Amino acid sequence: MLARRLSALAIPILLLAAGCSTTATTAPAGAAGQPRSGGTLTWAIETEPLTLNPHQYAQAKARLLVWNSFESLLTYDDQGALVPWLATGWQASADGLTYTLTLRDGVTFTDGTPFDAEAVKANFDKLREQGYAPGVAAVQLRNLKGVEVVDPRTVRLVLTAPDVLILDFLASPQGAQVSPKSLREAANLKAGGLDVVGTGPFILDRYVPGQELHYKRNPAYDWAPPTADHTGPAHLDGITYRFLKESAVRIGALTSGQVQLVEGVPATDVPLIDGNPQLRLIRELNSGSAFSYYFNVSRPPFDDLRVRQAFREAVDVPTLLTSVYRDTATRAWSLVSPASPFYDKRLEASYGGDAAKANSLLDQAGWTQRDAEGYRVKDGSRLTVRLFQSAPFVRDRRDVLAQAVQAAVKQSAGIDLKVSLVDQGTAQEAFDNNSYEVFENSRADTDAGAALNLLLHSGGGINRIQVNDPGIDKLLEQGQASADLAERARIYAELQQLVVAEQALVLPLYAPADQIAASTTVGGVRFEPTAGVPASAYDLWIGK
Amino acid sequence: MGRPPLRSVLRRVAAGVVVLWVAATTAYLALLAAPGDTVDTLIGDGVDTPQIRADIIAEWGLDRPAVVQYLDYLWRLVHGDLGRSYLLQRPVAEVIGEQLAPTLILSVAAATLGVLLALIIAVVTAGDRRPWLRRLSSGTELLLVSTPSFLIGLVLLSVLSFRFGLFPVAGGADLRALVLPTITLALPIAGLLAQVLRDGVDRALDEPFVLTARSRGLTERVVLARHALRHALLPAVTLAGWLFGTLLGGAVIIEQVFGRPGLGQVTLNAVTSKDMPVVLAVVTLSAAVYVVVNTAADLVSLVIDPRLRRS
Repeated sequence: MLARRLSALAIPILLLAAGCSTTATTAPAGAAGQPRSGGTLTWAIETEPLTLNPHQYAQAKARLLVWNSFESLLTYDDQGALVPWLATGWQASADGLTYTLTLRDGVTFTDGTPFDAEAVKANFDKLREQGYAPGVAAVQLRNLKGVEVVDPRTVRLVLTAPDVLILDFLASPQGAQVSPKSLREAANLKAGGLDVVGTGPFILDRYVPGQELHYKRNPAYDWAPPTADHTGPAHLDGITYRFLKESAVRIGALTSGQVQLVEGVPATDVPLIDGNPQLRLIRELNSGSAFSYYFNVSRPPFDDLRVRQAFREAVDVPTLLTSVYRDTATRAWSLVSPASPFYDKRLEASYGGDAAKANSLLDQAGWTQRDAEGYRVKDGSRLTVRLFQSAPFVRDRRDVLAQAVQAAVKQSAGIDLKVSLVDQGTAQEAFDNNSYEVFENSRADTDAGAALNLLLHSGGGINRIQVNDPGIDKLLEQGQASADLAERARIYAELQQLVVAEQALVLPLYAPADQIAASTTVGGVRFEPTAGVPASAYDLWIGK
Repeated sequence: MGRPPLRSVLRRVAAGVVVLWVAATTAYLALLAAPGDTVDTLIGDGVDTPQIRADIIAEWGLDRPAVVQYLDYLWRLVHGDLGRSYLLQRPVAEVIGEQLAPTLILSVAAATLGVLLALIIAVVTAGDRRPWLRRLSSGTELLLVSTPSFLIGLVLLSVLSFRFGLFPVAGGADLRALVLPTITLALPIAGLLAQVLRDGVDRALDEPFVLTARSRGLTERVVLARHALRHALLPAVTLAGWLFGTLLGGAVIIEQVFGRPGLGQVTLNAVTSKDMPVVLAVVTLSAAVYVVVNTAADLVSLVIDPRLRRS
């Protein structure tokens, strides 16, 4: 037999102990008691989704909505391993070019269409249709040659090159299964809506743009993934997600009992929740890449390793995080999130926060003069680096953090960090003209390898710092081709050593996290395993 | 003297159409001149490859010259087709249509409340009868006009919703949910209108016709309400255009704070993301309403002031 089965528990426990520092996924039982059925809840969320079609998903903040009415073929458990969902298993051929998936029996879309191999094929075919989901077709499905229906319960994915990330795609919102009937008939397919349906435990039955979404229970649901707390239909009769963009308003609505759950609790509001015995707060680190500053190596001054190292030494990250986020932020040491199984713990405490070292590095690099304002100068030009922040995408007070970094590098090393908060068009113009030195980013991919490919590969879609290093490309390609998780972890650890320790291409700042504040009467409040974002409403219930 | 009324109406309509066209074109040019293009918007901070760019350009026909796209837009506009939102992937008419009612309800409620409050305040505090009340009122008005409505909304919410639970924080259908947004939006309007109205009443009270009215034995209340206030209404009515602008601008903030549906957030999102079809539709719609409001204001002026009818 050429094919071999991927174990669901492929990651050695040792590796997890070394690399994983996530908190418990499920909140303590609290005062809610035992799960019971019935009732409705209102959850105030920060972000109104741009689309309700999971194939078009692009907002990590909307992920908690997707899994209410849609499901994927696979999902992740809390160890970062893939487990079955709508697929009961999968086999990879030895050459890594074919994946054969067996599908669960007895699943129906909520419009009555049966879920089978033809439905899976219809989803893939749609995703690869010109103009439907260009991002997915160009990245996640880049190596997909075609999908074959073997029998009603079996599909085969044929690849042009070994690509283990196809499995991550099968567990992603974009890989969620949409009813073929919806794909054919929906009025605004790309926008989604009540007529774009999946197989999930809830059915979207009301959408008031600008105000709220309402889901009702799918009574026929009986195919929960092994990661869920229970099986069968959802506990709740229904749930309303209300869009409240202002954090003060969300917290006020929670403390006054008008909503029972909120997500997105800024550091300043944490004491309000902690001080209230009727409420509790849980948080979890997101998967993917940490929020980091990347240094543009294609132009001075960051083409010089010493200047990159100096910038990093000039910033005392813990002090900045405390001043901006109090003690709610988790420092990042690598561009890989500490929640990822690929996180390289060896990087911890290996660099940073040494102003004397920063200054001596800059002296060595020739930035020896100082101008009247105290900035370093070389050959008559000031040591200036530019960071453009695109206002629509600034979150987590990253604009404030940038100001703190700006003050720190000026004070400790005489570096002039110019921060511009601009519209997306202006930021894009700076990228097009290569007129920036710092690029900031974090990504929420469940497989950190997907983020690294985009950020660091010479042909990567978000390689804004223009890294072009055959060594890095090779490691990334190996990481994408290998099906063995331990092997991948070794490859990505080597990559992190190269990128973070040796080449100092990046200044990792903090590991993005999500928070949920909820009334203690609500049970089953949890995060999605591995992704680290709030989970769907499936396990939620109302206690006495 | 006196043109045929039909010609005057036609002139008005033609002027209105020109205003609409100028508004739409200006918005189009402004968006065109702003940095970045539609493709940048759709890519956002996500993955950016030449293939993805090519796909987006092909999907929306963005490779055509700007002039062609503009003429195509005008052509479709004339046929009642507002196009599709780049960002939301839905017909613009649908996006705007479903948000129109909540905005309209809020605007009408806030405008009514604002004007009513202003009238009451102006009449009660005009003249030199109660100088302390006048000072208090005038100070409060100034405070309301200068306070960002964002802050007014949060304070009202904190006290009346979060602390005393009198009104819900959000919700579109429930009438109770309309109260706080209406008050928030109405207060600055009331503040400014009250100042203008009182000023007008004060000046009217010094006019000879008030003396005449008083000498005819009319009570002070009738003098105020029937004569002085009517006189003071004229400058206030010319503020109708300003009122409309305030309502639309205020709606952006109010909707964000109160989690209300409405055109404000749609406009804000469309402008920040250069969602051209939505921006153009909102601008054209606003211009249309503006024309209607100003025309109505002119007509109301005719009703209020008989002198205007003769000219």
